[in-house]
Amino acid sequence: MRRALRERIETGAMLAPSVVLLTLFVLVPLCVVAAFSFALRDPYGAVLPGFTLDNYRDLFQSVYLLVFANSFKLAATTTLLCLLVGYPVAYFIAFKAGRAAPALLLLLLIPFWINFLIRISAWVVLLGRGGLINQGAMALGLLDTPVGMLGTYGATLVGMVYAFLPITVFPIYAALTPIDRRLVEAGADLGAGPAETFLRITLPLSLPGVLAAALFVFVPSMGVFAIPVLLGGGKEIILGNLIVQLFLEFRNIPLGAAVSILLLAFSGVGILLYMRALGRVEAMK
Amino acid sequence: MSNSDTGVVELRGVVKRFNSFTAIRRLDLTIKTGEFFTMLGASGCGKTTTLRLIAGFELPSEGRILIDGDDVSEVPAHLRPVHTVFQSYALFPHLSILDNVGFPLTVRRVPRKERLERARAALDLVQMGGFFDRKPSQLSGGQQQRVALARALINEPKVLLLDEPLGALDLKLRKEMQHELKEMQRRLGITFVFVTHDQEEALTMSDRIALMRGGEIVQLDSPTGLYNTPSSLYAAEFIGETNMMPGEVVEVGQGRARVAAFGQELDVRTADAISAGTPVTLTIRPERVAAAGTAGPNRVEGRLREIDFIGTDIRLVYDMPGGTRVTMRRQNIGSAAPVPGEPGWLEFGDGDLRLFRH
Repeated sequence: MRRALRERIETGAMLAPSVVLLTLFVLVPLCVVAAFSFALRDPYGAVLPGFTLDNYRDLFQSVYLLVFANSFKLAATTTLLCLLVGYPVAYFIAFKAGRAAPALLLLLLIPFWINFLIRISAWVVLLGRGGLINQGAMALGLLDTPVGMLGTYGATLVGMVYAFLPITVFPIYAALTPIDRRLVEAGADLGAGPAETFLRITLPLSLPGVLAAALFVFVPSMGVFAIPVLLGGGKEIILGNLIVQLFLEFRNIPLGAAVSILLLAFSGVGILLYMRALGRVEAMK
Repeated sequence: MSNSDTGVVELRGVVKRFNSFTAIRRLDLTIKTGEFFTMLGASGCGKTTTLRLIAGFELPSEGRILIDGDDVSEVPAHLRPVHTVFQSYALFPHLSILDNVGFPLTVRRVPRKERLERARAALDLVQMGGFFDRKPSQLSGGQQQRVALARALINEPKVLLLDEPLGALDLKLRKEMQHELKEMQRRLGITFVFVTHDQEEALTMSDRIALMRGGEIVQLDSPTGLYNTPSSLYAAEFIGETNMMPGEVVEVGQGRARVAAFGQELDVRTADAISAGTPVTLTIRPERVAAAGTAGPNRVEGRLREIDFIGTDIRLVYDMPGGTRVTMRRQNIGSAAPVPGEPGWLEFGDGDLRLFRH
């Protein structure tokens, strides 16, 4: 008995720092935001105590629904592009790179050592009218005059895929590496060509990684704001900008808090869907 | 394009190198239609590489591979008319047993109804009829083995390649599967190319055995030939148990030689052209060593060192003159066994002794 008690105290002591940290910096702020989302405001932007559902009711105005639709479209497109680009990269590193695999994985991580905003600003320079891409294309005779790429939806997508590609590659890589190479050989042995072996064996077996990657990209993509503003010119309002605007420009903290909570709920649903899909994939085995 | 006077699988001057390592030195081999052909050897001898070359998982560095008369040296695995049973079974974990077995038909766009019928029939053939909907992970090793076999047989391949398929099974199950495999091979008439490091398994099942070492075939023979008339000391040592005794040729006659060993002279039948004075090793199987009551030609007196009781057999180890030990094996027929320390005369029949130069 005394020993069991001691072990419990030890476990508690070891967990305490992270519990304190998470409570102070995640749970408490979250509760504050949740409380604000039901609060009132005075005309000067100060939060007044009280309880109302008006903030959530306001969200169902068409202008806000459009913002949700924009965010969803951006997140879905980003996820799809990341999977299309990231899967071949992960496949190559897992099956073809051999001894170069650790080095390639490290190369994917290195950009993370640089501040996110600086990396995105680099794309502003690259994509600009006087940027490397335009200048290079003109030097090669591919273009006569510079093309305006900045401020387009395409530029936003380039930045999004760039930012989320490593997050896509890692879970897919992790799902691909344990696949027994004999299974691929068995596929070929039994008459399936390389494409069919991939579609019928490798791809289904790597689905858990694909689902994880989709989740890791989709959820944060719903809340981005810097990339569309810096590269896409902020032409379409998305959830990220909306929250920033509501908090900092319109001083409508309760409404901003309501949008934040809705975004959080959205992510929660995404995670739930992921868990269910994963359960189904695992059940296949 | 079938050609009856060549084998179903032919390797002509095949060499396989992996970077600087030569896995197959030079292989010329003809596997006959309908035979149970075994490649036997210790790990690293090249037997699995040879199988993978036939399957098409590896392409030869030199030489040609023919299957059913067609040159398939550069043909990828999925277009070759052979199927493989892997040591790890390699069942697809995300597919049901029925879909695993039906896979070769799915790939060939066989209509669903026919595919399911044939997959069921194939599973019945290996006595796995009741397991259609299970996943591979829900089956035992032996059951997975049967499913893998059904999957490889469903398309009636010209040649079935088996890579140590029984290696992961326990002894009793392995013995059962040996008989079943052999029986199935006879019934279906499919050529089996079998890889194993288990010499007993090879002897039991095969029509012919290629004993391999260092990327080459040491001896290609029937099981009895390989056991009774090994062509090299390596073959004699690798297959079964063998007594090895140092000696020196004293006199050579027609088809026979007199060899000095144990401080006396023994008569040995040999077809080898060998000259007097050559140092040799004599071998004899423990079951060919006979107990003799008295002195006589080709008899040597030893002293019993220990007795091992094996069950069906008794193993008697004798200390011989000159420090060598000789093992004798005799059936356990219930008679009184000698006691360690007792002397005894052992007879080495001139036809049972084999002679190898160093």
